[in-house]
Order: sequence, then structure tokens, then C-alpha cells
Amino acid sequence: MVQKAKKLPRVFEYFRNEDQFAGGVAFCAGCPLELTLRILSKVLGRETVIVGTPSCSAPVLYGQNIGTWHRLPYYSCLMTGVASSATGLVRYYRKAGKDVNVVCFTGDGCAADVGFQPLAGAAERNEHFIYICYDNEGYMNTGIQRSSTTPFGAATTTTPVGVVGRGKETAAKNLPLIMAMHRVPYVATATVSHMEDFVKKLLKATEKKNEGFVYIHVFSPCPVGWEIESDSAIQVCRMAVRTNYFPLWEAENGKFRLTHTVATPRPISEYTRLIRKFRHLTEEELARLQQEEVNSNFAFLRHLTEFGTSGTPETGG
Amino acid sequence: MKVRKGEIKVITGNAAAAYGAMLCRPDVVASYPITPQTEVVEQLSRFHADGILDAEVVEVEGENSAMNIVAAAIIAGGRAFTATSSWGLAFMYDALLQAAGFRAPVVMANVNREMPGILAVSCGQQDMVSTRDSGWIQMAVENCQEILDSIIMAFRLAEDIDIQLPVMVNYDGFYLSFLAEAVEIPLREDADQFLAPLKLQPERTKLDPKRPLGCGTHGILIGFMELRYKHCAALERAKQKLDEIDREFGEFFGRSYGGQIEEYRTEDAEIVVITSGSAAGTARTVVDAKRAEGVKVGLVKLRLFRPFPRERLARALKGKKAVGVIDRSVCFGWNCGPIYMELRAVAPDIGFIPMMSFIDGLANMDITTPHIERVVDDVYAVSQGKPYQEVTWIPLEE
Repeated sequence: MVQKAKKLPRVFEYFRNEDQFAGGVAFCAGCPLELTLRILSKVLGRETVIVGTPSCSAPVLYGQNIGTWHRLPYYSCLMTGVASSATGLVRYYRKAGKDVNVVCFTGDGCAADVGFQPLAGAAERNEHFIYICYDNEGYMNTGIQRSSTTPFGAATTTTPVGVVGRGKETAAKNLPLIMAMHRVPYVATATVSHMEDFVKKLLKATEKKNEGFVYIHVFSPCPVGWEIESDSAIQVCRMAVRTNYFPLWEAENGKFRLTHTVATPRPISEYTRLIRKFRHLTEEELARLQQEEVNSNFAFLRHLTEFGTSGTPETGG
Repeated sequence: MKVRKGEIKVITGNAAAAYGAMLCRPDVVASYPITPQTEVVEQLSRFHADGILDAEVVEVEGENSAMNIVAAAIIAGGRAFTATSSWGLAFMYDALLQAAGFRAPVVMANVNREMPGILAVSCGQQDMVSTRDSGWIQMAVENCQEILDSIIMAFRLAEDIDIQLPVMVNYDGFYLSFLAEAVEIPLREDADQFLAPLKLQPERTKLDPKRPLGCGTHGILIGFMELRYKHCAALERAKQKLDEIDREFGEFFGRSYGGQIEEYRTEDAEIVVITSGSAAGTARTVVDAKRAEGVKVGLVKLRLFRPFPRERLARALKGKKAVGVIDRSVCFGWNCGPIYMELRAVAPDIGFIPMMSFIDGLANMDITTPHIERVVDDVYAVSQGKPYQEVTWIPLEE
């Protein structure tokens, strides 16, 4: 009987470099950040300067004292200075004739809130670098406070559920769409449950950054802050896609395209039941979450994909 | 050595700042317009558009980004320049600290303007004073020629391998920013030659993927202490270094400003007036007039606010009978002027002579000749043994 060699998933074909991260990094158990960074380094390679800020990724990227867990050059700045510092780096490298990937890697608190102005400024100037936001829907490193990408109803330490409090009162800011409205060459959403999609987008990012600003929004559940099982992050990512809570799309030179369509979207309750930060939600609140965070966002996105493009998205489940 | 002569043009203080920056060939320029500095940004953009300035010019969306951009460009290996004023300086405060902590030799023109407060689109040095503990080197200059020359000197100072610190060149908004004066603009090749020694230095650490390093890693415990220690030591070295650069500039271009402080008729003076910025020009004429009347008065123009030139001041003031300090800003919580307060800390080195604080010129109030005459009269009276008031808000006590 001939043993059939197990075929590796296609995603491995896209790796052009070795993993630049050491084993035993200091992320929380089950956090998808580790996978995200390893994939990033395998796709982008060593000619990459990471620009980051105090955040969940900082312990690994900054290192402790003189030791780090990776071999990439790294520029750490304040939360207000990520996109602007990256601008300074790429402008000098361009002046000096050096071809360097400059990649900002920050959480949603920096990208959507306190570091938003320089991000918007860099996008409008079409600076030639890649900005990756890992969206864990809050300030997780400082202890699970709400950010402007925290969804409606989510319990955080600054939107606690109590006698009166019912979690966050407003819907999340749709940052990837806002970034796409800056008319930059490339904007995409991605998550680790759909790895091939993610890696393809990273590869495209490396090409498109030669034309200008690239923004990738990575959905990144926080096992601690969202109170999910530490082995369930990828399952949560997959369900976020299947419910259309986090649709996978890209906008290339202004043309929107769903890179993965869901034939029959699941109700939001199948997603929220995996995540204890939503456990207090009533039927009415769930309905509002479904409407505000899923239906209206997705309908808007759908319009954008149909606008001026004939691209047909790939289908799958 | 042959003294280099340049082209003489009638230009504003802001244009002088832009010419100074342009002559230093920065790789990256990033600045955000704010009154009264705007013309610096416009002029640099004009130089760039005309092909005179071969730099990456970034039209930023705010001052905070401007400072982060220039600091990062320098860490990557370049030379960079920016300019701001008052609220712009406040808006880049976190980035200002970061640039200093990174030991990024940024050169920035800060056009002094009042803050905090309302209706203060007017001159005052409060912006400079509010950032004195940011770890920067802070200079204050008197006229348009000195603006241009000081920016060239600032690059020599900032990028010196023994210093590696950002330098803020302060000049008074309105009084200097929009004042048109005859300014001698050095020739390009002469400016290049003056800056050439920087190229002979050992290469500083740069963020280059060929030699990966982490910039700004967690500096905890002893590592952090060591960085702070070295930062403070570099600031101390900057004092003498500025004197040396100023002397060299004088030999090269025929203009020098005394380095940390400029003394005027202090040698045989019995009393001394200290001030900084554009007021020094007026003070000089008052000194001459009072000398003609027989009052032995001298002037010290403070050119370096951080690090504070304590040794030079102690030497200049030793043996004097009394000293008056005119400040164009206030020291909240001490009810006096900041330069005065700093001078008080030098008192043990000078000997305990009477020191008086005069606050004047806030928010574009003119520091007039009669105002300074009054300062001289008051200080003279004290030197003759009269009792004195420590702090005087001049325009409020006329």
C-alpha cells in the first residue's frame, strides 16, 4: 500500500523567508498575535523595519532589557507617533536610495484612537509603507479598556456591566473602511483563520507599498480580554467571518472586492456565544448587535463591491 | 584664515531660518504652519520647488507628526530640520521628549510666542520655558543674522559625536520673525566646508536592516539610569562645545556671538543687566546711554538657556555689585522670571549679590528703552545700598 504524502496547505508556498521569531515568546496563551507576527516575518523577510508602540505586541517586539525574541530591526515610538515615525524612516530611506519594507504594527487603540491623526495624515500623503492594525477591540495590554473599535454591548473595564451599565453603548468605528476612503493603493481585512487569504494580502501589500500607502486590518481576538478559551481564538476568527461580523475584503486602487464570501451567514449569536464579554446581552441587544455591527456594515460593503467593478468573489464557507 | 563673504539680502527672521536650514542640506524637512513661524515652512517649500533644497519635504498634518518624522529620519541615518512655535511646540511635547531620549540630533527653529492663555498670538518666551526639562539644548538669539548663523552652528553642535542631542534655536516671534534686516547669506560651498568636520566623525548608530537593532527597547533599572547619566553629561559638554563652535564660526565667517553668553561692556561694569532674545539689542543701546551718564553698567545676553551656562555667568558676574534680569516669560509657582530663577541657583558661585527679577514684554508688550533704563536705575540704586523689591512686573508698575 503506497503511503500518500500529506499535502501541505497552499499557504506554505507563499513563505519566502524563515521565521524571524524565536520560540517561547511572551504573548498570552492562545493569542493569535504570535501566529500573525510569524507569518508576517515569513512573508516580508528580513529587509523589514517594524515600527511599533507600547501595546500587546511590545513585550515581544521591544524585548526586555537587551534581549529580543526576533531578528528584525525595530523602532519603538509613542502611540501618537507610529505612522509619522514610519514616514520619517521611509522618507530618509528613499532619499538614501535604500529599499526597505517599513511596517507599522499596532493595535486598534493606536490606529483608531490616539494614533489616528498621523495614520490619516500618512495615508493622505500616500507614504510608501505598510500599516498593520491587529484589532483586538480594545486596550488589552493596559487592562481591557474600551477603544473606538470595541463593538456595541461588549463588556470592558471601562464599559463594565453592572446594575445600570450594559457594556459599550455605541457601535465600533469601521477603521478599514475609513482607511479605504483615503484613496490609498491598497486596503484589506484579514484574520488568521483564513490564512491563505491573509498571506496573499500580505504579498500584495509588499507590491502595493511601492505605489504608496497600504493598510491591513487584522481581526485578532484576545483570549484574556474577551474571555474566550485559550484554544478557541481561530474558531472565533472563523465564526467572525462566517457571521459576516468580520468580512474579508480588499480595496485595490479604490476597487472593493470581497475576497471570501459566505453563502449563508450565521446569526451573530453563534459568534457571541463563544465570547464571554457578550454573555450579558439580551435578545434585543443581540438584535441590535446583529443590525449595527453586521447587517448595516455588510450592506454598505456590498454596495461598495458592486460599485464600478465586475470582479466576482470566490465562494466558500 | 580668509573670512568667507556671502551675499547680502534683506530678509525676515523666518526667511533667515529657512536659509540657514537650506544651507545645511537636510535630508528630510517636516513642519506644520503656525503663526508666526509659517513663513519658514513656506520658504522651505519654495526652496524645494525651485530645486535649491534637495530634501524630502513632508507636508505634515500636525506638529506632533513633524517631530516624530524628523526624529525617525535621523535615527534612520539622515539630517533633518523642523520649525514650530508655541502651541505647536506643546502639541509635539511627547515627541520632543522622545527625540531627546533617542539622542536624535534634530535642529528646530522655535519662533517664540506666548502660551498658555487666550488672545496670545504674540511674542513671549513661555513656549521655550515650558519645554526646558525636555532634554533639549535651547538657544535664544537676537537678530536675523544670528538666526541664520545659529542654525548652521546648531547642526554642528547637535550632530557632534560628543553631543548627539536635539537643538532648539529660539527667536522672538513678530519682533524677529517678521523683521526684515540685511542678512549675509553664506555661500553654499562655505557652509558645506563649515559643516564638513561632521563627516569626519565616527559613524553614529543607525537603524539599518543590514545591521538589525531595536531602537527604544525597554530601558529598565540600571540601563535607564545609565542613559540618563550620559544624556546629562552630554548636555554639560554642550556648553563648552558651543563656545568652540562659535569661535570657529567667527574665524570662518567673521561673525561670532560669544557662544553660551554674549557679554557687552561687562569687564569694568559694577552692575549688570541680563536678558535674552531681541530685547538684547535695545538693552545694548541703553547700556551705551547710561555709560555716557557715568553709570558703570554692562549687559549679558543669554544665548543658551539649556544647558544653563552657570560657569560663564559666574565668571561674568563675579565681583559685580548687583544684577537685574529681564525675562519675557514667567515662572509659575515662583512669581519671577525663569532666567532669574535659574540665576538664583548660580548665586553661590557668584557670591551673594543682590539679584532682581524684571518681567516685561509678555504678549508683545514692547520692552522699550525707558523700561530698560528703569531697570538700570533700579539695579544701580540697589548697588548703592538702597532696599529693593525682588520682582517687578515693569508695565504694571509704571
